[in-house]
Amino acid sequence: MAAPLEGIRVLDLTQGVAGPFATKHFSDYGAEVIKVERPGQGDMARRLGPFPDDRPHLERSGMFLTLNTGKRSVTLDLKTATGQQILRRLAEDADIVVESFRPGTLERLGLGPDVLREVNPRASLVRVSNFGQTGPYRDFNADDMLMYAMGGVLAVTAGEGREPVKIGLYAPLFLAGNVVSAFVMGAFFGARRRGIGERADLSIHEILASSMDRGGTNLVSYGYSGALYFEPRQPQRSSALPAGVYPCLDGYIHILCQLQWWSRFCQLIERPDLVNDDHLAPNLLDINYAPEVDAIFFPWLLQRTKQEAMEAGQAVGLPIAAINTMQDVLNDPQLNARGFFVDVEHPAAGAVRLPGVPLRMSGTPGELRRAPLLGEHTFEILTERLGYDPADVARLEQQGVI
Amino acid sequence: MTSDTGERMLPLEGVRVLSQAIVWAGPFGTMILSDLGADVIEVESIQHLNPTRAAVRHLPDLFMQSPTGAGYLNRDNSEGFWNRSATFNYAKRGHRSITLDLLRPEGLELFYSLVREADVFLENNAADVVEDLKIDWPQLSAINPKLIMVRFPGFGISGPYRHFKGYGATMEAIVGHTMLRGYRDSDPSATPPIYHGDPTAGATVAFAIQSALYARERTGEGQLIELSQGEAIVHHLSYALMDAFMNDRIHDHWGNRHPWMAPYGLFPCKGDDRWLALAVDSDAAFAALAGEMGRPELATEPRFADVSSRYRNQDVLEPLIADWTRQHDDHELMDRLQAVGVMATMVAHQPEMFHDPQLQERGYFIELDHPDTGPRRYPGPMAHFEVNPLTPVRGRAPRLGEHNREVLQDILKLDDAQVQHLLDEQVIGDVYLENAR
Repeated sequence: MAAPLEGIRVLDLTQGVAGPFATKHFSDYGAEVIKVERPGQGDMARRLGPFPDDRPHLERSGMFLTLNTGKRSVTLDLKTATGQQILRRLAEDADIVVESFRPGTLERLGLGPDVLREVNPRASLVRVSNFGQTGPYRDFNADDMLMYAMGGVLAVTAGEGREPVKIGLYAPLFLAGNVVSAFVMGAFFGARRRGIGERADLSIHEILASSMDRGGTNLVSYGYSGALYFEPRQPQRSSALPAGVYPCLDGYIHILCQLQWWSRFCQLIERPDLVNDDHLAPNLLDINYAPEVDAIFFPWLLQRTKQEAMEAGQAVGLPIAAINTMQDVLNDPQLNARGFFVDVEHPAAGAVRLPGVPLRMSGTPGELRRAPLLGEHTFEILTERLGYDPADVARLEQQGVI
Repeated sequence: MTSDTGERMLPLEGVRVLSQAIVWAGPFGTMILSDLGADVIEVESIQHLNPTRAAVRHLPDLFMQSPTGAGYLNRDNSEGFWNRSATFNYAKRGHRSITLDLLRPEGLELFYSLVREADVFLENNAADVVEDLKIDWPQLSAINPKLIMVRFPGFGISGPYRHFKGYGATMEAIVGHTMLRGYRDSDPSATPPIYHGDPTAGATVAFAIQSALYARERTGEGQLIELSQGEAIVHHLSYALMDAFMNDRIHDHWGNRHPWMAPYGLFPCKGDDRWLALAVDSDAAFAALAGEMGRPELATEPRFADVSSRYRNQDVLEPLIADWTRQHDDHELMDRLQAVGVMATMVAHQPEMFHDPQLQERGYFIELDHPDTGPRRYPGPMAHFEVNPLTPVRGRAPRLGEHNREVLQDILKLDDAQVQHLLDEQVIGDVYLENAR
């Protein structure tokens, strides 16, 4: 079975996290993605790590290895006229060009929107940046935490009596990459219909502000009622019913028990006598009774691992979740039963375990192939695709262009 | 084709999507499809509440006073509140709504007839709902072999957790997000959930549907696409995941610190709950920060002169920076530090984002009028397309069952009498039944 995007050609001028995660969707699902990297240094994700044994190496960065699966790497010095000329040749038969330079850079590198329109009128240009190609914040520098802050989400993550606290490293940029991939497909479809390439400007700032987590959900609620749907520093519990995080034998679990599930809770902790208990049952919505409920729950929890507590809870229809470390995630029975993790052999990094393609397509499945070495496909693409003579390629290499 | 006339033609115009996309994950996905021009028909019913509109048939006053009550116009729980839900009206813009009682043969047959005329059906109900309703892949693909069906319950449709009950918080905990977010001096109980899985799954599905539409041009066949929301957000923790795999290192909560940058984190500013988010990624940036602080000597002090010294001594360094930030306004510090090349921003407060100069200049907010809410502002499409601008062509979100007649007559060619019969029998309608659940 062929992959779904076979035949689509993407010229990938992104680096870091958001752009490469967007184009990874294309390479994992069968498009040809040609990734242009700087000679000698490559994508900045090659320096992000983590590295095996913490020893930095351009070919062994965990972030690069997972973000660039199945792509082909061409090195080009875009500060040279020859490098820019080769870039334009690569753009000639691309369907989509995706870039994540600082705004204005692409123009300086000789492949701005107007040049691309001349070189290849049907190619779409998708530009991904922190704050977009226009506006007063256009040139602001930011990383994942700062984007989360500007998107409005960070402020409302504060726990009771605390400062805001960020999400796991790089996660906001991955979410932006997901959104970008959907609009790259949209740009591609639109361009085919019109016969003329789309020009798309996506801002990570706007994506995070719009997202239906604590972001867009809060913005629209504020517009409807003058208040936020998720206030910061909100108590996680408002009744005696078990809710929130609890300790157990080997860590923590999260539980959310609604009033109609009280009997399930009693069944779980093997206290059927409490279902209609005169003292507790009528007072479950009163938070003053919380310590009594917890006193019954704790002994049960302290005899069980988080995995056991979760499975027992779910067996009676109570949403209990193990609060897992990444090591637990690697060993998780669900992810492993579904074969989520994939071992990929890489010539420089050895056997690498990667998170697999999350979309399971019955007719046209995707496939995870290893990330490229820096410049691995330069020779092949210049000679076979662009018709360069091998001797010319050798000369370009000597000049440091590739 | 309209390229000759230059007339606008949205990318997914003519693509018909049947949606049972609930809560937030599904709607975030269909919002993208609708913004791209797809004809998204929300298949609802007057017997069963659409959770994006209503959790219960009558919202208690106590609920309206709670923070989540803010999701309804002016916290008003009077009849018809389901047409005044902020999140529904945001994500379902441009959609059409029909109501069909799928538990009755008449409703089910109409749904099957719509499937014959559809390109896509997507749903993120609990794992067994479509099987129970007889609208699962085996039935629907037999009716329409070109159909693309997307299923994305929390943990997928296979494996030991496929029946797990869960919400955003459940999912985040199991796949590692909760453990990694948190204060360095506290257990995870201090960290509220964030619901990161919802937009992630929605956007992934919007990509998947378009990929399958493209593949169908070549194969002539539809397919079943399945997504586990949990798997989708495991990717987002790739850094910690790869460290666990490569080095067997278990990341605990880092608070707002970074694996190698220092100083890094949130620093208090003048005013209540005002913060500067700061990320110093080089010696030059640190020297610039020290200069702005009026303490240039810090940049050459051995304790802070290079990144590893700063990292080791960040407990000492942080209070020095906080003493300075506390005296200043967050906007002012953002502008000053950005001007000298330091990565620093304020921590934006959502109510103020309606006046944010960047969002305003880019036309981020759009206004949509709705008969039940009046004109309201919403975030616009998340991509600015220049050739085919993505203003929501069909406009506002639909009222419950608003397009019953239109869809049944235009697509399924029912006549007035047949529609009237369906109304009389309450197979369709536009008000939730009193016992709707």
